[in-house]
Amino acid sequence: MHALPVEAYTSQEWLDIELKYLFSTTWQFAGFVEDVANPGDYISVQAGLNNIFIIKGRDHRLRAFHNICRHRGTQLLRAVGKTQKAITCPYHDWTYDLEGNLISVPKKESEFPNLKGELHKCDLNLHEASVDIFKGMLFVHPEKDAPSIMDFFGEVEPYLGPHKVEELIEYRSKNGEPFYTEEIKANWKIVVENYIDHYHLAHLHEGTLNMYDHAKAEFGWAGPHYWFYEPLVEDFLNDVENAAPYPLIDSVPRDQIGAYVPWLFPNIGITESESAWNTFHVLPLAPDRTLVTIRSKTMNVSEWEYTKQYSKSALSKVWTKYGNKGKYEGDKNDPMASGDFMLEDIYACEQQQKSLQSPYFSVGAQAEKGEYAIQRFQEEVKKWIEKHQ
Amino acid sequence: MSEFYPLQVLNIKKETEDAVSITFDIPQELYSKFIYKPGQYLTLRFHLNGKEVRRSYSLCSSPFLEEYPKIAVKRVKNGLVSNHINDTVKVGDSIDIMLPEGRFYADVKETNYKTYYLFCAGSGITPILSILKSVLHTEARSFVYMIYGNRHQESIMFNDELSALQEQYKDRFVLIHTLSRPNSSWSDLWKTKNDYSYKKGRVDTKMVEWFINEFPPYAQNAEYYICGPGTMIENTKTALKGIDVPNTRIFTESFGGAIEDASVKGFKNAKLIAHLNNQRVELTIPEGKTILRALIDKGQNPPYSCEGGVCSTCVCKLKQGEVHMKKNLSLDDKEVKQGNILSCQSIPLSEIIEVEYLK
Ligand SMILES: Cc1cc2nc3c(=O)[nH]c(=O)nc-3n(C[C@H](O)[C@H](O)[C@H](O)COP(=O)(O)OP(=O)(O)OC[C@H]3O[C@@H](n4cnc5c(N)ncnc54)[C@H](O)[C@@H]3O)c2cc1C
Ligand code: FES
Repeated sequence: MHALPVEAYTSQEWLDIELKYLFSTTWQFAGFVEDVANPGDYISVQAGLNNIFIIKGRDHRLRAFHNICRHRGTQLLRAVGKTQKAITCPYHDWTYDLEGNLISVPKKESEFPNLKGELHKCDLNLHEASVDIFKGMLFVHPEKDAPSIMDFFGEVEPYLGPHKVEELIEYRSKNGEPFYTEEIKANWKIVVENYIDHYHLAHLHEGTLNMYDHAKAEFGWAGPHYWFYEPLVEDFLNDVENAAPYPLIDSVPRDQIGAYVPWLFPNIGITESESAWNTFHVLPLAPDRTLVTIRSKTMNVSEWEYTKQYSKSALSKVWTKYGNKGKYEGDKNDPMASGDFMLEDIYACEQQQKSLQSPYFSVGAQAEKGEYAIQRFQEEVKKWIEKHQ
Repeated sequence: MSEFYPLQVLNIKKETEDAVSITFDIPQELYSKFIYKPGQYLTLRFHLNGKEVRRSYSLCSSPFLEEYPKIAVKRVKNGLVSNHINDTVKVGDSIDIMLPEGRFYADVKETNYKTYYLFCAGSGITPILSILKSVLHTEARSFVYMIYGNRHQESIMFNDELSALQEQYKDRFVLIHTLSRPNSSWSDLWKTKNDYSYKKGRVDTKMVEWFINEFPPYAQNAEYYICGPGTMIENTKTALKGIDVPNTRIFTESFGGAIEDASVKGFKNAKLIAHLNNQRVELTIPEGKTILRALIDKGQNPPYSCEGGVCSTCVCKLKQGEVHMKKNLSLDDKEVKQGNILSCQSIPLSEIIEVEYLK
């Protein structure tokens, strides 16, 4: 659309290329540290073309392996679970230890006379992948000797919020679902571009995100990653102890309060505010369908503290003026009148995706500063794919 | 290889009742040679009671800081060299020293993102301290979890320096002292400061498991460094392997002193053919002598430093014949299988022995 052709947003060919050369060559978000809390716990995640499982050893160190049995390629482990000392394939009971070494094959002598000597030296151990932790988040990389996670994220780290993520706890619904999941009918890059588009904040979200001071926003790039910060508007800051919807995050010093909203290349955003810390994970399902998962963390304090804060916030004058009005007046079921910025964003993304089909579609002009990030993001995608193709 | 350089003693400091630290001056022309990695050691040579003796001492200074090379020597009961150093070495003395070497070191790099587990006891602090300082000062993103075992408070070497590091790097450095015979008034004092700082007991399986449970690795590229006396190394290693820490991530340094296997009798007057310094040497090995001693006694100059089966400087390849190693604290099974032997520990078991020094 600027750096990328329209097909990059509509065709399966492009998505296939992205899955292979972008999502399978970068550190991919896999969850929070506490998802694999105890020795034996594991989770499996799809990262580009690879299904990778992360398992915690008794030494509390995480290991990552490709989730395929070396026998016939069956997926070894299901989404989440716990194992003790071994991983056994459901198909023919080939068994591996937690280091990925093949340790047992039923009827080995009679059926596999060629497998001589110790099994773990037969070149049939699990394919290793890499896992590491960055800001309380798990990331996986399909290569065993992946470049260090800090080579990838190190440059952007200084621009992230001061939040001590490990001290926060996650909000989960009663059935254990994350804070928010939504399938959006738009290409994943449209969702990303909307997230990093500063120009739209004061317009699409004029009534919903106006408690942040868009005019004072600072932003830039660190490697392939985008960083963004804006302070609270003065009215909000002056009454933030009362007005904040949840208890204030105490690892954020008063003079650093604000909204830190970086985009970590290629497909995870973080929203770090005065009282909540969220991940915004974007997963392409089809060229025009994208799954957005938001996980949310807040202060580790009692239910009672939350209730108190909720009442204080409800009474605060700040919200009579900020953050509550839809762009249009009318039925609250209309996203543009809902007063909910997520619905506004989804609406804008889906409307844009629809237009891509039109022969008349083109991007007419682009805001030099406010939309620079969009162009840059597309260039980063292009550059990365070209480098890894 | 086994070249010695006279270095001047710049400073001596009494660290505890029975240990001193010594810093050396490096003349400008040797700057480019005396380069070391954190964890490596120096070999010192003395002539005592008419005999040449060599001993290795780990550098406790950090090559990443503007520090003079420094070692610390703890008295060993009835020990020849350690007591000589503690009793007689003075500022200004010149001591013959070999270039730094050793296979026990951390590959410290600014860009590393690692978790270091450091286990040490007694004088085993020396190489660990060098690694600790180097990592903390150089690797801004790495974490260090350390256990330091001692008998009681007075025997803790470098206590002040360690406390200062704890203060300076609180966010990513945890230090637990374990004392086998704590002095109670002191321990109470410390407990109030920080519940974790002190624990009674030894660095053993239970302690290691408690420690890792309490301080799981954050950066997932974790490495485990162990240095200490007697069974401490084996115990720690066994504990780590017991919770599936891969062997490739464990690094150990022994200072020697293990009990040697003296039950095996050597072959009387075996013939030795040695390929050494591009020469072929032939001699007879007198009964009870090691290959290394037989060579030295005949005026040869084979490489060695600890003569205790620890440092592997004296390693050579066995080409012919069979030997018995009295002690082996440095070669692993694979290296032994490939025919490597420690010449300082090897006595002949066959009539003809042929060895080749590769260094
Ligand atoms: C790589 C390496 C690094 C070393 N770093 C240091 C260091 O930083 N600081 C330090 O103080 N020492 C260190 N040592 C030990 C040091 O080299 C000497 O072995 C030690 O000082 C004893 O020498 P000695 O001449 O006093 O004792 P010796 O006269 O050789 O031995 C006297 C008796 O003590 C026993 N013994 C020898 N060494 C030990 C020991 N380490 N522990 C227990 N018993 C022992 C002997 O078996 C013998 O019975 C290191 C050794 C090696 C191999
Ligand atoms: S001289 Fe050190 S092992 Fe032989």
